[in-house]
Amino acid sequence: MTALETQVDSAAEAPAGRLGGGFLPYLAGKVGGALISLGMVILLGFFAFRLLPGDPVAKIARERPMSADQIAQLRHEYGLDKPFLAQFWDYIVNVFTGNFGTSYVYKMPVSDLIAQYFWPTILLTGTSAVLAIVLGLWLGQKSAWARGSWFDKIASGSSLVLWSVPTFWLALLLLMLFGGILHWFPTGGMVTANLAPWSGAWLISIVAHLVLPVITLTAVVYAQYLMVMRASLLEEMSADYLTTARAKGLTEDEVRTKHAVPNALLPTVTIVFMHIGGLIAGAVTVEAVFSWPGLGKLTFEAIHGPDLPLLQGTFVVFSAIIIVMNLIADLVYRQLDPRIRRA
Amino acid sequence: MPDIDPRGADTKASSPVNFPQRPRLTRMAGAVLAAAALTASTSSFGLPAAASTASPSTSQATVAASDDVLRVATSGYVDSFNPFTSYYSLPTGLFRYMYENLVQYDQEKGEPTEGLAEKWETSEDGKTWTFHLHKDLKWSDDEPLTSKDPAWTYTQMMKSAEMGAANGNLVENFDKVETPDDQTLVIKLKTPQAANPGIEIPVVPEHIWSKQKDPSKWANDKATVGSGPYQIESYQANQHITLKANPNFWRGAPKINGIEYVYYTNPDASVQALRASEVDLVAGLTPNQFKSLQGVEGVATNPGKGKRFTSLALNPGYANAKNEAFGTGNAALKDVEVRQAIRLGIDIDSLRKQVLQDQASKATSFIPDAWSDWHVPDDQPGLVSFNPDEAKKKLDEAGWKAGKDGIREKDGKKLELRFDIDSTDPDQQTMSDYLGPWMKDIGIKLDVKSSDSDTLSTRTAKGDYDVVVSGWGTSPDPDYQLSINTCASRPNADGTGPTTQDGWCNPEFDKLYKQQHAELDKGKRQELVRKAQMIHYNDAPSITLWYAKNLEGYRSDRFEDFGLQPSDGGSITNQSGYWGFFEAKPVSGAKSGGGVPTGVWVGGGIVVLLIIGGVVFAVLRRKSADDRA
Repeated sequence: MTALETQVDSAAEAPAGRLGGGFLPYLAGKVGGALISLGMVILLGFFAFRLLPGDPVAKIARERPMSADQIAQLRHEYGLDKPFLAQFWDYIVNVFTGNFGTSYVYKMPVSDLIAQYFWPTILLTGTSAVLAIVLGLWLGQKSAWARGSWFDKIASGSSLVLWSVPTFWLALLLLMLFGGILHWFPTGGMVTANLAPWSGAWLISIVAHLVLPVITLTAVVYAQYLMVMRASLLEEMSADYLTTARAKGLTEDEVRTKHAVPNALLPTVTIVFMHIGGLIAGAVTVEAVFSWPGLGKLTFEAIHGPDLPLLQGTFVVFSAIIIVMNLIADLVYRQLDPRIRRA
Repeated sequence: MPDIDPRGADTKASSPVNFPQRPRLTRMAGAVLAAAALTASTSSFGLPAAASTASPSTSQATVAASDDVLRVATSGYVDSFNPFTSYYSLPTGLFRYMYENLVQYDQEKGEPTEGLAEKWETSEDGKTWTFHLHKDLKWSDDEPLTSKDPAWTYTQMMKSAEMGAANGNLVENFDKVETPDDQTLVIKLKTPQAANPGIEIPVVPEHIWSKQKDPSKWANDKATVGSGPYQIESYQANQHITLKANPNFWRGAPKINGIEYVYYTNPDASVQALRASEVDLVAGLTPNQFKSLQGVEGVATNPGKGKRFTSLALNPGYANAKNEAFGTGNAALKDVEVRQAIRLGIDIDSLRKQVLQDQASKATSFIPDAWSDWHVPDDQPGLVSFNPDEAKKKLDEAGWKAGKDGIREKDGKKLELRFDIDSTDPDQQTMSDYLGPWMKDIGIKLDVKSSDSDTLSTRTAKGDYDVVVSGWGTSPDPDYQLSINTCASRPNADGTGPTTQDGWCNPEFDKLYKQQHAELDKGKRQELVRKAQMIHYNDAPSITLWYAKNLEGYRSDRFEDFGLQPSDGGSITNQSGYWGFFEAKPVSGAKSGGGVPTGVWVGGGIVVLLIIGGVVFAVLRRKSADDRA
């Protein structure tokens, strides 16, 4: 680091220290808001799914011979013979003890199920998120800098086309081409059955199963990072400080990477965090097409039950992830942008 | 997906941000990378936890992906592998392979045949059934199997509601179960019944199950002990179920060493998996999927006779068991002449060909042709065929006169019926395209409304419909399907209580139902069962449209000789028995079903890593060679 930069660095840090007093009230406000949202989600989780048509017991009774006694027994087992308010009380107790009740289908605590299916989803969405963010931001700043060029047209255009494509359609297309016809990648699942965990074959199998779903998920979401990055960099490009930077004799590349891009990154950070939550929710379609054993597939199947405790549990967890991500976005943005700290 | 506004990209606005910003870039890049690293590391740490909670000790696995493991695509729910409490069809189907019944359904047409019992007698009054077990039967763990085992199983189901959760209806009529010796089991019934009481109930080993603290809560999902041709070796929810051949099966060891159910959520994906030889068998295909597999090298297709009928339910006027009316059915449909006219106005042959591309059998009444002993044959007197003129005549005679717009009226009321279709089922949309004009032709207006299947089934249970598409899966014995057509099986006004097929009640039918229920002479019972169905046919509370085929495809280059039930044109899967996989054998010298070559996997993995690495590198590099602005 040059002396000039060090000096400027400490100058930039200084005001933050003086004005940082408002942080606790800010934090309290944001966290409070998040908690209220979470409370609403928990209430909604119960009532929304009770309002849905569809009786899980009737559905089972339609598919197999059952006497009225057996049907009553099943209703009792599911706790559906209790009064509505008693069911609500059970739900609240289950939410606050953290187990979300027992799944009708899997006959195990919903919290255990979610814990089990959480990591495959994180593996899938995490990989896709990293790829989409990196690809989107990189292409976005390149496009903005070379605005109107062929590179810009192709990069922005193709990203928007992929963004507009229905996820399940792209997923099925890739599956048919690379799975069914070319046999390059497996057509579904996460890992070939009965391989020893952590063996080489097991790891390779997971990577192979990961390729198509990750490509799908990345392809349909990276456009948002690209467009936001491109837009905010374009805003910066007419700024006077870039002229100053050029006047100092910096190369065009240095002007872009050291001056314009960092400023343009600000709004992008918010988008990144806000969309990580959405990405996990968006994995539902991809997981359903590729039979990926994650939270999305769990939710998809719970709707068909309807497996009420499981639906409630996944709904609350998905919502909580989004709420937490938005909270992080708020906090990070404040740290990054001194204007908000002063406000 | 959230919305973005690409036009926002060109909005000009000055943003007075202090410069220079390099420290921030460093921090930012660091943060992104740290987040990425964190995500990556937590996920790889998390994976074994997820895997190990559900996976059994893989080190003991003897069924590996090898040539004679049959891989079957499935999307079925598994609540548990506990035959006392599991409700879902996938485990219920697997119990047929895991636990031999006292008496089994035969392959030819689903008649009772030897199971654990070699032979049996019925007392004159039809209330005492004596079963003689095969000699020297053994469980898959080599323990002896005696009459004490079925006796223990049945008694558990009779004693407790929890243990009778799934199959309690099958022992409802049991009074006592006795074991005079290790080879003999006597079932004493409360009332005589024609259906063999030893059928359909999975018999479990007492020496294993009686040791469970609460057998009704036991998941029973690994290294199971049973008497059927296959036992569960390992299970991982939503990933796979691995079964291993049981050499102690009394009919002899099966020829295929293992069966692996592989999960495919999306049916189109499972079709692709069959093409790629990643699975060996897929079932329940749509006609289009089925067609796409015809002519594929190494794949054979089987349109198996189905156990399910599809019908058009015409609300005959709902009432509960005390004859108190409820529901919103159109009063016109209470008139049997109107219902009969609707039947005459529907061309079920064209409908079957158009909607299901003819992948269905011609229907008569509600017992499908797969169960040929009970099915009403095509030449049964009293069956009618498509005849719009006859339909019009019937409506004229019933006093429904055509109005100006061609729609019939009676007492100032138009003959307008609601036809509620399930929006998730494209077949029903196609059906309405045909039914609408056909009904208009005979002077009936159909108002087609589409809603979701859950709303529809809730409404149907309360008699809140005029015309809906309905259907049921049936068993080889007709008793249950007949029973849900009796007056006593009509539901309560809120849709709870007994299960009904069509909300219909006819005392004459009930009489025949009771007679066949206790008729031990098969010929006589057959006559009664068909007669009862004809009463339903004539009353037309529903019109059976077709028996859809169970469309299956399998790798004929790897496996052959699957056992069909019924043997004349039946299906491999979804049987009432274990014939499908038990009779099958590997093709000698077949190529292995590895599916995706490992080299490609490694290649794919490397490509992905290269992409990630390349992009990260490109973003991080400080100096750019291409400096065009």
